[in-house]
Formats: sequence, C-alpha cells, structure tokens
Amino acid sequence: MTAIAEALSPRDTHLADAARWLRRGALLNGVIALITLLLGILAAARIIPFETLRAGLLFNYAGSADTALAIMILLALINVSFMLVLTVGVLAREIWTFPVLWLLAVANIGLLFALGWLVAGLNAVLCAWLGVRLVRELSSLRVNPVMIKELRGRMRGVRAFAVITVYLGLMSGFAALIYLVYAAGNRASGSAAAGEIGRVLFLGIVGIELLLIIFIAPAFTAGAITGERERQTYDLLRTTLLSTPSFVIGKLESALGYILLLLLAAIPLQSIAFLFGGVTEAELVLSFIILTVTAVALGTVGIYFSSTLARTLNASVRAYSAILAVMFVAPVVLGVVLRLFSNLFSNQGSLLFSPVMETVFKYADLLLTSINPIATGLTSQQLLINQNVLGFYQFTLASNGSTIPLVAPWISFAVLYLALSAALIVFTIRSTRETEL
Amino acid sequence: MSELIIQTKNLVKKFGKFTAVNGLSLEVPAGSIYGFVGPNGAGKTTTMRMLTTLTRPTTGEAWVNGHSVLEEPRAVRKSIGYMPDEFGVYDDMRVWEYLDFFAACYDIPEAERKRLIDDLLQLVDLTHRRDDMVDKLSRGMKQRLSLARTLAHDPSVLILDEPASGLDPRARVEIRELLVELAKMGKTIFFSTHILADVSEICTHIGIVEAGQMIAQGSMDDMRAQLQPHREITVTLLTQEAVEAVKTLMSGFEGVANVAELEPKGGRFRVRIDYTGGDEGVAAISQKLHSANVAILGFTEETKDLEAMFMRVTKGIVS
Ligand SMILES: Nc1ncnc2c1ncn2[C@@H]1O[C@H](COP(=O)(O)OP(=O)(O)OP(=O)(O)O)[C@@H](O)[C@H]1O
Ligand SMILES: [Mg+2]
Repeated sequence: MTAIAEALSPRDTHLADAARWLRRGALLNGVIALITLLLGILAAARIIPFETLRAGLLFNYAGSADTALAIMILLALINVSFMLVLTVGVLAREIWTFPVLWLLAVANIGLLFALGWLVAGLNAVLCAWLGVRLVRELSSLRVNPVMIKELRGRMRGVRAFAVITVYLGLMSGFAALIYLVYAAGNRASGSAAAGEIGRVLFLGIVGIELLLIIFIAPAFTAGAITGERERQTYDLLRTTLLSTPSFVIGKLESALGYILLLLLAAIPLQSIAFLFGGVTEAELVLSFIILTVTAVALGTVGIYFSSTLARTLNASVRAYSAILAVMFVAPVVLGVVLRLFSNLFSNQGSLLFSPVMETVFKYADLLLTSINPIATGLTSQQLLINQNVLGFYQFTLASNGSTIPLVAPWISFAVLYLALSAALIVFTIRSTRETEL
Repeated sequence: MSELIIQTKNLVKKFGKFTAVNGLSLEVPAGSIYGFVGPNGAGKTTTMRMLTTLTRPTTGEAWVNGHSVLEEPRAVRKSIGYMPDEFGVYDDMRVWEYLDFFAACYDIPEAERKRLIDDLLQLVDLTHRRDDMVDKLSRGMKQRLSLARTLAHDPSVLILDEPASGLDPRARVEIRELLVELAKMGKTIFFSTHILADVSEICTHIGIVEAGQMIAQGSMDDMRAQLQPHREITVTLLTQEAVEAVKTLMSGFEGVANVAELEPKGGRFRVRIDYTGGDEGVAAISQKLHSANVAILGFTEETKDLEAMFMRVTKGIVS
C-alpha cells in the first residue's frame, strides 16, 4: 500500500506500526488462500489425497474433505478483506477499529476450535496482540470528523425526513401494487396461495431496494472527492492534519451510513411478507447481507472513480458504466458463451466431455453468478428452498458421478465483493495521495 | 526578529513549459507582518501553495518553522494556518460546525473544542452569528470566519492569500486590525495583496515579486531607504529673487545633487532640491535658508509613497 504519512508523535508511530502488522496479516492470508487453492488443484488431480489435507489443515471439520478446502479459501479471503479495511481504519484512527479487531480475534479463535483451522490461530494471535497494543492508543481513536460533518449536513432539517418519508411511501406503494396485481392475477386463475404472495412481495421489495442501491450508492460517493475539489474546499482539508485514509473512510462511512439507514427503515416493510408466510428468516438475513455488501462495493467503486477523475460528472459516468459493464453485461455475455460451450462439451458423444471440463464449467458458472447480485440472490434462494442448502454442498457430476464441493453464491458473492471493496479503498487512498501534488 | 520562520531557496515551479515561480528566495523573520506584493500572475499564490505543501516545488527548497516542506509536510501543516484566495464554502453548515469540523481535523479533542470555538468567534467578532449558516454570512464575515479557522490549532505562522480582496473599505480595515492584533499575539503573518495601502499601513516587511522572481525584499524602513536613494525637498518661495538665492545657497551644499526650479503654482515660486543626506542634513538646509533671510513660505519633504515605489521596481513584464 501507500507510504504511511510522516509521524508527528509517538502515537502516530504506534498506529502506523499496527497498520503495518495488519497489512502483513492480510498479505499472509492472501498467500495462504492461494496456497490452499493450489493444494486443492493438486488434490483434485489426485496428486495428494484430500483426506490428508483436511486432517492437516482443517482437522475439526466433519464434512467432506474437498468442502473443507473451499471453506479455508473463503475464510482466508474474508480475513484478507477485514485486515485490509482494518489497516486503513487504524491509519484513519477510526474508533470502530478497536472492537472490530477484537471481533476478528474472537471469530478466529472460534474458527480455530470449531473447525481446527490452524491459520485462524495465527490470525487470532495477531489480532489479539494488536488489540492489546491498541489499548494504549485508545484515546487517539475517534469518530471520523468528515463523517460527522457529512451526516450533519445530510440529516439537517426537513429534507432528510422528507427523503425517508418519500422513500418509504414509494416502497409501500410499490408493495401494495404488487399485492394487488398478484391477487388479481390469482383470482383470475382461481388459485391463491398466501405463501406465494408473500414470496413475490418479498422479492419485489428486495428488488426495488437493490435497484435503489445501485442508483444511489455510486452517486453518493462519486462526488466525495471531486466535490471537495470543485467547491475548492479540498485544499483547506489538505492543509490540516486530516490524513488521506481518514478523509476517504469518512466519506465512505457517511454515504454507507445513510444507505444503511434506508435499508433498516425498509425492514418492517419486508417483514410484511412474513404475514403472508412463505418467507423464512434466513431469506431475510441473506437479502440484507446481499444488499449491504452491494452497497459497500458500489460505494467504493464510486469513491474510487472520484479519486481518479477531476469532475463529479465524469466520476459518476465512469462508475455507472463500470458497474453496468462488470455486474450486468459481462455476466450475461459470458453466461451465454459459457452455456454454448457447455452444451457443446456436455454432449455425451463429445470428446471433450469429461469430469474436468464439467467441473470447470460449474465453477465458472458459480463465479458468474456471484458477480451479479440479482443472480446471486435468486440462486441462493432457489438452493435454500429446493435443496435446503444455505452454505456448502456437494454437486454430483453428470459425467462420472463423482462429487465436487460447491458453495451457495451469496457466500462467494460476499467474499468477492468485500475483497474488491477492500482493494478499492486501498487504491482510492493511493490515487488520492498521488493526485495531490 | 532575526530568526527566519519562512525561508525558501531558489524555489522554482514549472507548469509544463511555463515557469510560474523562477528561483524565488524568500526570507520572512519570525514575528513579522510580511506583505507579499506583486502584479497579477506574478506567482504569489503558487509560492504560497508550495509553502503550504499543496504543491511540490519543481526544484529548490523551502522551510517553514524549521521544517522542510518536502520532507516534513505534516510538521509544516501543523505550524501554519492557511487561507486560500477563494473561500471554500461548505453549504449546509453552521458557523460553529465549520470551526468544529476544522478543529477536529487538527486533532483537537472534542472536550476542548467548545471553548476553542467560543474564543475564536470572540476574537473575530462573530459570536452573534454562531448558529447561522455559513453561506448566509457576508463576504467580510466569511473572511473573518476563515481567519478564525486558520487559528484553530494555534499555528505560529499564518499564510493568507489576499485576505482583503473583494471587501468593502470598512471590512478591509477590520481585517487589517485583526492582523495587527494577531501579530501582537506573536504570530508571524505572511500575506499577499494588491492593496499597497494595506502594506504601508501594517507591514513590518515587504517582498515584491514579478514574473516569479523576487525583485526586492526587506524591512519596510530599509526598503524605503533603498528604493529612495535621494530625498526631494520642495521649497515654496514668495519672490523670484528668493528662488535665485536658494539656487546659489544650495549649489555648494554637501549632498545636494540638483536644484531645479519648478513651475510656479498659485502665484508661488517653487524649487526642488534633490538631497542624498540624512535627517540632520535636511535640518541643516532648513537652518541655512532661514539664516540667509530667504522669504520662505513652505519647506516640505516629499515622501514617495509605496505606490510610486511599486511602479518603479516592477516593470510590467507579466502578461
Ligand atoms: N495549475 C496551474 N497550471 C498552469 N498554470 C498555472 C497553474 N497555477 C498557476 N499557473 C500560472 O502561474 C502563474 C502564476 O500564478 P499565481 O496564481 O501564482 O499568480 P498570483 O501572483 O497569485 O496572481 P494573482 O495576483 O492574480 O492572484 C499564472 O500565469 C498562472 O496562470
Ligand atoms: Mg493569487
């Protein structure tokens, strides 16, 4: 990452040290994820037995050995994301870094004992050690001033209240519309299942929220840095002692804080779907995770372009085009290509019809699904309803009947997007510093 | 007054092929009020931006409060309060929130901020506008608020880019008085301006730049003496005979470079004496004319004002 700003006090030095260790931790987990992936490939090629790997690396896990490897890769990647965000957070002297650091320590201890993942032990030790060291610097951690400033502005007067009211009003109106249309449709066909209405209602509301996030998250952050430049307030900030990480994190926090508020405000509305039945708590939680993760990722995309470009308009246009291209166009196009190829290869008579090809297709399919939040949500829901799968499961290959480990897309989606967000935050800070001079 | 709080050595800033600052060497003594004067486009703002770590010099070095602008930017930022030439407005912010935000950016703990804000508002006389929106303030008030902001972390140097531009005469005087007050509090004030009256009124030091180069700098007294190698004494006389008398009396006097008869004005005869000596000499001239019983109506020494000095040194090279 970027060079750490010059220290003015022993405090600064301590915090910079902590950040350095967190970065090393992130790097270590990244390397471990890679190694695990390589081991998995070796095992799949029957060079080392899966059982040995499981016994050595994830010895408390009772499920199948190949799933164990998938779990380890994802856990390592989640650790990477958290540690990167913590690195930036510590540099920005965010107060939340302290609890999050301990949470990560505890979670890793939990993983160590529940799954027997040895790396978790290492992570836990690192986090706890840094957590103890951070106790001394607790008084220099603070609530981000940029976030306070932004939220004060955003929440002032009737405007904020009006926005939330209009938002909830529109959502309710939309929900009512869905209900009416659906009820009318059912009356015509003569069959009305309350559970189905509930599910449609739920999907409709979550869909609207997702659409909303896709539109407002980048908009909120695309102007974060360019806006300060355009209003000529950026120079004022840069001559203060406010660090670049503080600035970037503060902007993100305020945007995401507001979006989170909108999401939370809509939860009661989502719960109406419960009245009709047909929706489980798991679905509610999953939808919330997918929405939040989407908001975080799109928010960081916006701020990233805000840091690389000079004008808010350009930053918005770029952010929306990038999002459209990566999240929607690419998965659809690649999905079609993938479908064509797999049809070609899975033809029973085909020379290329092999377990390896099928496995590759299956994973590529998962990856493409995980790129798009809508596909992720729908696929995860289908898995939950049809196969009662929430997390990991075994998929039986048609070609030779052997099984491969797969994961519900919401997990791979969350890991992918969180890692992307963490990386983008780091890039944003870097490019903000670079364009400074 | 000898310790330099801002110093630059051969500072150069290029924008592409264009050289905005060209080998500028600046010396601002601690505790001074330094007027940084120069025509439009002379490179004043660019110099200030390098001193405030906002822009990197192309070559050359600069130190503020003993810290290198290149190597210790954060230490420099801690030592300075900077006011750019444009007022950056955050819409949707109250006056106290504006100060509170910047104080927080300077790591001032929340517990101390309330008192600090009250003190700052008192200093710039904005206590009654504490809860007003920033963008509702008049320009003069905004400028004072801006000044209060630069003081939030009690810096030792204030770098102010045209603090009085666009203000009405009363607001300008208010800002001027504020600057003098701050200087009394021990702060060094380095400010750029076009208004020479401001400089002659309050500055202890002055630097004149043109086309990115320092043309003249030093304390006001030195500069006056340096730029004004000879004094001009105008003697108003009653008769033409008196004119001749002055001419003969002065022709051999030590230090008198030239004696010229001027056009009579309002029926009075006038003579201009160009003199290179000191105050004692001026007194001696007056003494000599009186003792010779010349019919004198007036004896005045023209002090050349800063405006004339400025016009003389700057050549109008800048586009
Ligand atoms: N970012 C930039 N890119 C290109 N040229 C620049 C840039 N900033 C300043 N300049 C040029 O450098 C020269 C000096 O500008 P500067 O703003 O320092 O002058 P100044 O003395 O502050 O003038 P003024 O009295 O009008 O404020 C000008 O010709 C200006 O056009
Ligand atoms: Mg200027």
